[in-house]
Amino acid sequence: MENWFVNIAYALTNWLTGLGLSAGWADFILLVVQWVCIIIIVTLNVIVLIWLERKISGFIQQRLGPNRLGPFGMFQTIADAIKLLTKEDIIPSATDKLIFRTAPMFFIIISVMLYVVLPMGENMVIADLNAGVFYFISVGSLTTICLLMAGWGSNNKWSLLGAMRSVAQMISYEIPLAFSLLGVIMIAGSMRLSDIAAAQSNVWFIVLQPVAFITYFIAATAELNRGPFDMPEAEQELTAGAYTEYTGMRWALFFLAEYTNLVAVSALMSTMFLGGWQGPFLPSWLWIIIKTYLVMIVFMWLKWTFPRIRMDHLMSFSWKVLIPVTLANILVTGIALQVFKGMGW
Amino acid sequence: MKGKGLLEGLWITLRHLFEREITIQYPEQMPYLQERFRGCLQFDYKKCIVCGLCTKACPNNVLSYESEPDPNSKKKLLISYTIDLQYCMFCNLCVEACPTGTLYFNHNFELSEYQRDDIKIVYEIPRSAQAVISEPVDSPIEMVDSDSEPAPQPDEEEAKKQKQINAMITALQKNPVKAVSKLVESEDQARILADILQADEKKLIRMATMMIEDREKAGKVALAFVNKELKDRQQEGGAGNEPE
Repeated sequence: MENWFVNIAYALTNWLTGLGLSAGWADFILLVVQWVCIIIIVTLNVIVLIWLERKISGFIQQRLGPNRLGPFGMFQTIADAIKLLTKEDIIPSATDKLIFRTAPMFFIIISVMLYVVLPMGENMVIADLNAGVFYFISVGSLTTICLLMAGWGSNNKWSLLGAMRSVAQMISYEIPLAFSLLGVIMIAGSMRLSDIAAAQSNVWFIVLQPVAFITYFIAATAELNRGPFDMPEAEQELTAGAYTEYTGMRWALFFLAEYTNLVAVSALMSTMFLGGWQGPFLPSWLWIIIKTYLVMIVFMWLKWTFPRIRMDHLMSFSWKVLIPVTLANILVTGIALQVFKGMGW
Repeated sequence: MKGKGLLEGLWITLRHLFEREITIQYPEQMPYLQERFRGCLQFDYKKCIVCGLCTKACPNNVLSYESEPDPNSKKKLLISYTIDLQYCMFCNLCVEACPTGTLYFNHNFELSEYQRDDIKIVYEIPRSAQAVISEPVDSPIEMVDSDSEPAPQPDEEEAKKQKQINAMITALQKNPVKAVSKLVESEDQARILADILQADEKKLIRMATMMIEDREKAGKVALAFVNKELKDRQQEGGAGNEPE
């Protein structure tokens, strides 16, 4: 069970080279297959996630959640997806057409790009970059541009307001997000995600870096534009912010990308703080899935518990609380590392 | 401690996550109604003494009736009674005003109709049943029987019976709920039975014959019909339409 997917990949490369292809071409085709797999996983996962989110929100509010289609309403999301696919694609006449059209595409492409460095199990990374964390943070922050594109292209003041808010929020929270990961990187001594996961064989980094974990969790929630930090969308005041003018599948792409981001950030969190693929009995890829889902359930739990916070509070919380705390955390971690090194650990 | 409220909130939602849902899946699952729940206003013509207190008590002029003097006594005879439910605010004043308990609320809250006119509930008391109201006897059949001559000829008896059956058929066709109300126990059952009979001409004739010939048997058959219909309805759509 442990090596199922690795073996499949080996078999595929062997079969391709056996056909007379050069090793380079075989690797390229394998890469394409991996990409297709990731896109399929992401799409199917979103179907499950939206169902889960609705179910959890329902249970928290003592409702039943979706329960009509299929067992436990499992097929509700599929019905919604079909509805969105068949909806009319409305592009308002005063929009900046090119930007308006490309924004959701860029958003989903950038979200899927995050999966390149994420280890899905032991030896299961598409590209095990030695600057994996750095790649993840830099690509992840690109989504800001897509939201700005959507808001600007919509030519609607509320959309633009939402987009500006999201830019302000995401750029401010990018800093504590990166700083809180620094502590982990300092302990692991590597920015390669598989190394970081492997370094947690004895003790998970959530134990060594609890402050970093909490700050990362808060910053990630803001980065994902999820409640209680969903100011950019703020349905009650901004009518869904940058997404107001979008309909049908274009809108669904934003939704898809948001959930894709959610999975990616949760997977990164489980890799950085919760031991990655490490775990007893079950195969490594299953452990990653379990941990990721647990983190996502906590995200949903938070979203359906807390009310939205005010924009100025949001900004001041980032600059006045999170950044000093993460900086102090880095300082303490550095000192502690030197002290332990001096003690000969 | 700062942030205590956040943790409290999380604890509350976590508890709610595992508590029982309070949603009732309405068409399949009927809500539990208290005994005094005010559903649809009902009128039991047998008890009505045509005093008109209900119409005076109603603030919205929901209730109205037509009556005529009874030639045989000082009482009034009810011709029709109308409940215009669209104006009813379910205040219960008419029920409190009624001295005989003629008006009451049942538990049926599914009152929406496709046509505006259907909201009105009109009780038209037919001539044949009017006698029933004025007479304190149990059933229309006995009332008719009491008119019969001491020793009728067999042929005559047959003809008379046929006449009675025909009268019963017209009564069933005109106002089935009233006509069958003696056969079954509750109003709901009467309504169901009326539906069955109106849907099937043969059944209606059979039932009318039986009601004249053998009332006990008719009662049993009627009950069987109602039970079967209820079972069918249950199979069709969950709990059926019978309110709890």
